[in-house]
Amino acid sequence: ALNGTEEKKFKRFESYKRDGQLPTSVKDLAIHVDRKNFTILLPIMGRPVPFHINTIKNASTTSEGDFIALRINFLSPGQGVGRKDDQPFEDPTAHFIRSLTFRSRDVDRIEDIAKSITELKKDVVRREQEKKQMED
Amino acid sequence: MESFEGIYLNLSKQPGRTRIAEAGLAWKPPGTGETFTLDSSQLVQAQWSRAARGYEVKILSRSDGVVQLDGFQQEDFERISKVFKSWYSINLENREHALRGWNWGKAEFGKAELSFNVQSRPAFEIPYTEISNTNLAGKNEVSVDFSLPANGEETGTNGHLGGSRKNGRKSGAARDQLVEMRFYIPGTVTKKEKKEDGED
Repeated sequence: ALNGTEEKKFKRFESYKRDGQLPTSVKDLAIHVDRKNFTILLPIMGRPVPFHINTIKNASTTSEGDFIALRINFLSPGQGVGRKDDQPFEDPTAHFIRSLTFRSRDVDRIEDIAKSITELKKDVVRREQEKKQMED
Repeated sequence: MESFEGIYLNLSKQPGRTRIAEAGLAWKPPGTGETFTLDSSQLVQAQWSRAARGYEVKILSRSDGVVQLDGFQQEDFERISKVFKSWYSINLENREHALRGWNWGKAEFGKAELSFNVQSRPAFEIPYTEISNTNLAGKNEVSVDFSLPANGEETGTNGHLGGSRKNGRKSGAARDQLVEMRFYIPGTVTKKEKKEDGED
């Protein structure tokens, strides 16, 4: 590292290589957390769309009457306002999905999903830090 | 005539039976419900892909927009592609979707759908009929809102067609319904705004 100012490098990641690797649970058209593959599966127009935990910034819920809303914010360029924006991107000129919001009547299940996403994110960040400490 | 059981029409809650004949396609809900039909002259394009519920035949129709039939088996591809070619002169395009789990790619506007492509493969597609509103939500940020029934109970086809959804209501049948999507689209705006010495 150069005076500790070395630029963070983008590390590639991949959720799945083949559709046969998708969990069979996706057929219920609901949101799933696949901890084994560090991936959140989101139902978009009948398709299970994977998002690797590394793309996710955070997840939060809001109560809306009989419904609960789950908002997932993703990492994208131009978000580091006020603090250092040193998040590396493979292609900062690409289009990014910045957030996805779902609503559901399954309040408990959605709250569990939000919690699992937050925990998985924490685990991954912690592991990264441990790895870095080992390298130093 | 080719017949398939366990097929969902436009993300319907219940599966029904699909029949493919020279004159067109039909989908019959379980029980005594009304049958959905699509005349062969309506078919413009067809795509085969892996969906959440089995494999999907997605049809672009002239007047009904995008029609989704989900729940086919992998081995049905040959039967269906054969009859689509001979009866409708339509190539059933086998499309593999992106599974990398990336949130960056390219939002592209096709004939009937917005497609988000990751390394030239679609991660997902959204028929324009499902979009209720779009906004410039911020600098380089575009929000897309989806049409949903207000109370989440309305079936879209008033209980006909096995609770399948009309165009503009497709995700309303799901347990978890997509409400809003926001994109970050980099453009020239940021660069201009960064010129703080008033060159403009």
